[in-house]
Formats: sequence, C-alpha cells, structure tokens
Amino acid sequence: MSSTAWPTEDFIPTRYSLLSRLQDWEDQASWQDFFNTYWRLIYAVALKSGLTDAEAQDVVQETILSVAKNIQKFKHDPALGSFKGWLRNLARWRITDQLRKRTRSEALPANVADDGAHGHEGHAAEAQNPADLEAVWEDEWRTNLIRVALENVKRTVKEEHYQIFDLYVIKQWPADQVARTLEVNIGKIYLIKYRVGALVKKEIRRLETRETGST
Amino acid sequence: MSDHIDSPDQTVSIPVAAEHDLLRLIGSGSAGDVWLARNSVGIYRAVKVIFRKSFPWAKPYEDEFNGLLKFEALSRQHDGLVDVLQIGGNPTADYFYYVMELGDDIHTGQKIDPDFYQPRTLAHDLTERKQLSVGECIRLGAPICSALGLLHRHGLIHRDVKPANIIFVNGFPKLVDAGLVTEMFKTRSRVGTEGYIAPEGPGTARADIYGLGKVLYEISTGYDRNKYPELPAEMGTLAATRDLVQFNKIVLKACRANPRLRYLNTDEMTSDLLGFQFYQPGPFENITYKGSQSHAGWVYLAGLLAAAGIIVFLLFYTLLHLLHQT
Repeated sequence: MSSTAWPTEDFIPTRYSLLSRLQDWEDQASWQDFFNTYWRLIYAVALKSGLTDAEAQDVVQETILSVAKNIQKFKHDPALGSFKGWLRNLARWRITDQLRKRTRSEALPANVADDGAHGHEGHAAEAQNPADLEAVWEDEWRTNLIRVALENVKRTVKEEHYQIFDLYVIKQWPADQVARTLEVNIGKIYLIKYRVGALVKKEIRRLETRETGST
Repeated sequence: MSDHIDSPDQTVSIPVAAEHDLLRLIGSGSAGDVWLARNSVGIYRAVKVIFRKSFPWAKPYEDEFNGLLKFEALSRQHDGLVDVLQIGGNPTADYFYYVMELGDDIHTGQKIDPDFYQPRTLAHDLTERKQLSVGECIRLGAPICSALGLLHRHGLIHRDVKPANIIFVNGFPKLVDAGLVTEMFKTRSRVGTEGYIAPEGPGTARADIYGLGKVLYEISTGYDRNKYPELPAEMGTLAATRDLVQFNKIVLKACRANPRLRYLNTDEMTSDLLGFQFYQPGPFENITYKGSQSHAGWVYLAGLLAAAGIIVFLLFYTLLHLLHQT
C-alpha cells in the first residue's frame, strides 16, 4: 500500500466540525452521521482481528460508547496525534477487551482475575501485533474512504447514471452488457464512467483535504 | 376505560377493549401495542392500543385519534387497507384502541391458533425470500399504491410505508398501522422509518410515494433500501432482466430525491404499475442473458431453414416429375 497514493491522516470526513458537534450528546443527527461513517471501519477491523460477528458488533458498540465518553478530551492538534490514531486506539482497546473476555470464559473460574481495566491503559492482552493491526486499520480506513466517497456521490448524481456506473465500474459488467441491459448507448456508458468517476475522485480529494485539517 | 387487568403471565398490564378478550401481545410500536384478541362471538381480531404516555403532549395524541376517526370510515372502502372495525376510548383517557381484522398467520393463514399465531407481514416474507418476481411486485404494489391514493384524496397521509406495515389477509396485501395515519400538514413528533423517509421529510402524499418506491425497490432487487439505486449483479433470464429494468423505471420515478420529479400522485403510479408491459421474448432471442448464452434462437432458425429447404426440394422434385411425365 503506497503511502503516496493515499494520505496518512484522517481522510474520512473526519470533519472536525462533526467532531465538535459530537460534544453535544443530544445531537442525534450528528451521532448518527458519525456512526454511519465509522461503524463499518471498526467492524471490519474487529473481524480481521479474529473476532466473531457478534463480538465485532460489540466492539463497534463499545468503541462508539468510548468515543462518546472521551470526545470531550479529544483535541484536534497534530502534535497530540490525529483523530484516526485516536479512534484506532479506542477500537484496538475494545478488541483487546473482547479477546480478554473470550480468554476468561475459556479459563477456570479460579483463574479469573478481573482487574476491571476498561480505560486506555493496562491492556496486557493485545488483539494482535500492533503493527499488524495498524496495517489492517490503514487498509480498512482507505476502503472506508472510498465507500464514503461513493455514498456521497450516489446522493448527488442522477440515479440512472449511478446504476450505469455501479454495474460497469463497481460490479464490472462488460460495457456492452450494461448497454444492452439498461437499453442505453454504449458511448453513454463510457461518458458516465468518466463523469461519475471524476466526481468520485473529486470527492476523495475533498475528503483527503479535510483529512489534513486544512479546511 | 382506564381499568387495567394484570396479566398473570406477562409483566405488562392488559388494557380493556369492549367486547374483546385481549389474549396475547403480538407487536409493539413507538406509539402503542398490538394484541391478538377474540371478540364475543369467537372471531380473532387485532387490537392496537395507543397510549397517551407515548406522546410528549396532548396535541399529537389527539391528532392521532382524529386521524384514526377519518381512517376508520375509509378503511373498509378499499381492499388495500386493513379494515378498522371499532374504535374505543377517547383522546382524554390514558389510551384509546381500535379493532382491526387479523392478518394471516405465517404458517396457517386465516386458520388462527392463538397460542402460536405470528402475523405475516411483508417484512417477514422478505426474511424468507429476499427478492420477488416483477409480477409479484406489481400484485403487491398496485393495491397498496391505490390504497394510498384513497387516503390522499381524503386529505390523509400514512407516513410510514414499509414492509413491516404491509400485512396479508387471505393472501391479499393490506396497509396497516393506521395509528400513524394523520391529516396532511399536521406535525407529528414520531414518524417514519429511516431509509423509507423522503429526503424532504414525511408528511406529504409524495413522501408516501417515496416510501412505497423504496419498498418496491427492496422486493424487486432483494437489496436493502440503503443500497438504492444499485441493481443486482445477477438478474437471471433475459425476460426477468428486461422486466426488472422496466420495473426499475417505476421505482426510480417514485424515489426521485426531488419530490417534483416524482409521480404527481398515486393514480399516475398505480396506472404505470397496472399497465406494466411484461417482456415477450421473440423467437430469435436468447433464452438466457448472462454468461453462456443459449443458442436456441439459432437452432430455431436452422430448423426453419431446413424445413424450407425440404419444401423447396419436394416442390422442385414434383415439378421435375410432372415435366418428365408430360
């Protein structure tokens, strides 16, 4: 994964304005927006860390709760670390918690030593090699970026155009098959691929710009 | 009306509905509960109870009651609306209720066993069959669309058209949750379901059309509403593909983000659904569409040519034979 192709900072609509709105626990729309943007990322990383579907769902829930509890403490200051890194740590700790729960349930009751640690420190059992998790996080973060960009573009283009783009570019149907199925000229397929593709790239760039915090 | 009877086996208390025994809680919504009930002559009914405590203040509770009064009269005029048979209580009490015809059971239809009854909704059907044929979509969508039209013509809107609010009575689809029906342009605090709510918000006839469009999208593609407008990667036979693509045009017109680009009204949409032209394959068209395509058309053509050749040969042979004789 080339770091030149993708930025290394928070490029999903980290949207510092969104983060500031999250300070208000009553702002349900912002919390929904935040959840919609990040849940798949956390879920995918949890699954790739070896958790089951149910455990990964718990990790999503627990991570979002951790964000809610700690968002007041988060400061957007590159010197202190990025939002992406902060969220990654929260997710990693919750993944570790899940693995620890699993270990406990497999152990004899006498061996259970619940230190009650659910904070940021004291996680003896790591989910996996931190470097591996970082790589998985990077990978999923990028995947999520594209997903978010596609979702955003989907809402702005004509539905018929998105269907053509989806079948041809994402589902990778041959152009002639798309043209035949949707009863459109094949030239239109290429034109839409170009136009919608350009919008997706532009959206990715926009998100990347936000990632650097320059907006 | 405000009396409650403690249920021996449930933690909830059972409201009182005149001439009905409330047997079992079969559903819960934001504004109230739905009970399986038996009336005084032993017929099973559904009773929805709307609680005052579910509303932050009296006005929306009263609006709900008034909307229900209007809906009750209309409900029996259209097969696509669940019949409301009785309304009890009043908007000044702790709750009011209405009695409806009971939807089919998921296994036994209208043969009701109260101990095992589970209402059959479209949402339930979709858990077993993700995708319906276009024919089934039309048979389901047209009556529901027409039923919405009746509501709209009488100044009512549904506000929460979704698979869970479409039940079946003797296999026929009907729109339920009259509790959400309200008069147009009246505000309600608790409306709609994410993904079926029009971008401009609920509360208009065109927003109901949008919700129905999303339902039709889900049942025709087998995709979750949030995937709209994506089409399935596999569409099946040529006929199924062509039908789906044509049906998709109706869905797209119902779900336009800009309400002014949607169907003007449900009559227009119902007309498109009922006038749907199913694909009729020609003799030279391939039977399948994707992947390895069938050569049935070419085989048919070769057969025709062979038959024509034999006829020409026989004619030629007969002519030669006649010439030879003369």
